[in-house]
Amino acid sequence: MKTTAPAGNLAATGVVPGFPTATRIVARGSTALALLGALAIWLALLGPFAVLIQHLSFHSIRAALGPPGALDALWVSLGASASALGAMVLLGTPLAYLLARGRLPLARLVELGIILPLMMPPLVIGLLLIFLIGPQGTLGNLLADIHLTGTNTFFALIVAEFYEAAPFYVLGAHAAFASVDPRIEQDATLLGDRPLKAFRRITLPLSAPGLATGLATAWARAMGAFGAVIIIAYYPRGLPNQIFIAFQEFGLSGSLPFALLLIVAALPLPILAYLWSARTRARVAGTETP
Amino acid sequence: MSAATTTLLDVDLEVERRDVIVRAGFALTNGQRLAIFGTSGAGKTTILESIAGLTHLSRGTVRIDGRLVAGRTKGESPLAPRDRQVALVRQPTTLFPHLTVEQNVAYGIRRSPARGRVAELLDRLGLTLLARARAAALSGGQRQRVALGRALASPFRVLLLDEPLSAVDVAAHEALRVLAAETVDEREAAGILVTHDLTEAQAFGGQLGIIDGGRLLQLGGAHEVVLSPVSRRVAELVGYGGFVPVPAATDRWFAIHPDRILLGAAPERGVILTGTVLSTRPFGPRYECVVAERCGEQFTVHVDEPPDAGVECTVTALDPPVVAA
Repeated sequence: MKTTAPAGNLAATGVVPGFPTATRIVARGSTALALLGALAIWLALLGPFAVLIQHLSFHSIRAALGPPGALDALWVSLGASASALGAMVLLGTPLAYLLARGRLPLARLVELGIILPLMMPPLVIGLLLIFLIGPQGTLGNLLADIHLTGTNTFFALIVAEFYEAAPFYVLGAHAAFASVDPRIEQDATLLGDRPLKAFRRITLPLSAPGLATGLATAWARAMGAFGAVIIIAYYPRGLPNQIFIAFQEFGLSGSLPFALLLIVAALPLPILAYLWSARTRARVAGTETP
Repeated sequence: MSAATTTLLDVDLEVERRDVIVRAGFALTNGQRLAIFGTSGAGKTTILESIAGLTHLSRGTVRIDGRLVAGRTKGESPLAPRDRQVALVRQPTTLFPHLTVEQNVAYGIRRSPARGRVAELLDRLGLTLLARARAAALSGGQRQRVALGRALASPFRVLLLDEPLSAVDVAAHEALRVLAAETVDEREAAGILVTHDLTEAQAFGGQLGIIDGGRLLQLGGAHEVVLSPVSRRVAELVGYGGFVPVPAATDRWFAIHPDRILLGAAPERGVILTGTVLSTRPFGPRYECVVAERCGEQFTVHVDEPPDAGVECTVTALDPPVVAA
């Protein structure tokens, strides 16, 4: 049986010698399967959005969000998430950089500490946070000295969101910094930059796409944080909590407008960050002219 | 005047690598150039990175203008990288991928008047048309030109070049080499080139160092080292293709260089060798023959006309150096 074309007739048949026809059929088949799978997953993921739009009427949105004070939960969520994000950037960026450059002792242990909150059920984190920063907790007593309360306060909401979202930022930033060749940082310092200036001129622009993606993911997580929040910061009421309460009191139709509000508030930043970082990556990789 | 003021670069270092201990000791004065030649893994890059203060020394120090750059001494800490005035061209090339060619070249320039030099430098590097291209989009040879330009534009006292032209077209080597050498001379700086290409090393001018297995085996004038290798190993590295025992001496060989051969016997010019041609193959425009000497040792010669295999021939090795093991 002949599986390859004769060498003299290659251009006419388009067959590469050494690759049997059966292999090509399998290759084409698996490509089609992969495309089909990708489409199915994409549609499945988009499904809930379609349902949300389908079940929302302008009337129900106005009824839920119209009354005075109805948007309070939005402002609370935006404020707490922005604060949690600020704390993450301030504390998480140096940590991620030192981890990426291998300059921390017991790096594996530190990394495990960052990943652990990701593996823990958020509800359990909330329970444990009560012991840690609640009025009876050790840290709680210290916080009381500076007039901070660790439960049912804006501060408690920030802490709960921080626990749920910070690992996403630190891990993203770690990967972003690790992708920058430390030798070009050295080059910048040999060419006259102080370490901080080299970080600003070289490391930061090159890791910016990865940092943006990490930050966007953390933002979405913080805005949607619920498990730890409902235990430790039932008040002040943020958007996820508001959705849960509206669902309990008015059912699905009452909670959907708040769900839409949360999506509209939480998603644009991650989407913009994603688009920007994809463009910047292409530019740095040289596939796009300046 | 003390030695510290006349010596620009003073190197006495030892670096423990996993595979080998790299040791080197030499000093360079203003305007002096040194080429270090050796095989891959011999320790060339380690020496350059140590001089730049980027490698931990297990012993010794590196000083530039008397100031400590690497190593430890009591009561003295090494200069911060920005104050070392070292320009390093690495292999493989490291550029700032998000910056343009022009921005890369100008990166180390601190005073604005020196920026006028960037345009001139880009021109001499053949990069004018690429000035606004992003570094990430360049070919290997173009990247090396940019890296060289970035180093030459910076205010260096010591220029360190690690195989800087390995991906550049051979036709452009001479111009770029001249540019680097000129810049070192103008600044009265010191320049070190490491390479595994002997011609490249000799063309850099100045001193030639031969490194093997982490040790600097010989250091001397670029021509002198090739004509008078101190050991059999150095002779092998610089291209001697055979070793014939010196009569009535143990452990002494005449090192035979394939290009330092006359056909026929000329006793006043060197040592006469007689042997049988074993094989012949083309070598550039000439031919390379392997000859078995009467004593049994083999050596290679480069000739214009190919002799037939099996033919007996007599040649004169021009003043062959005598080397020990």
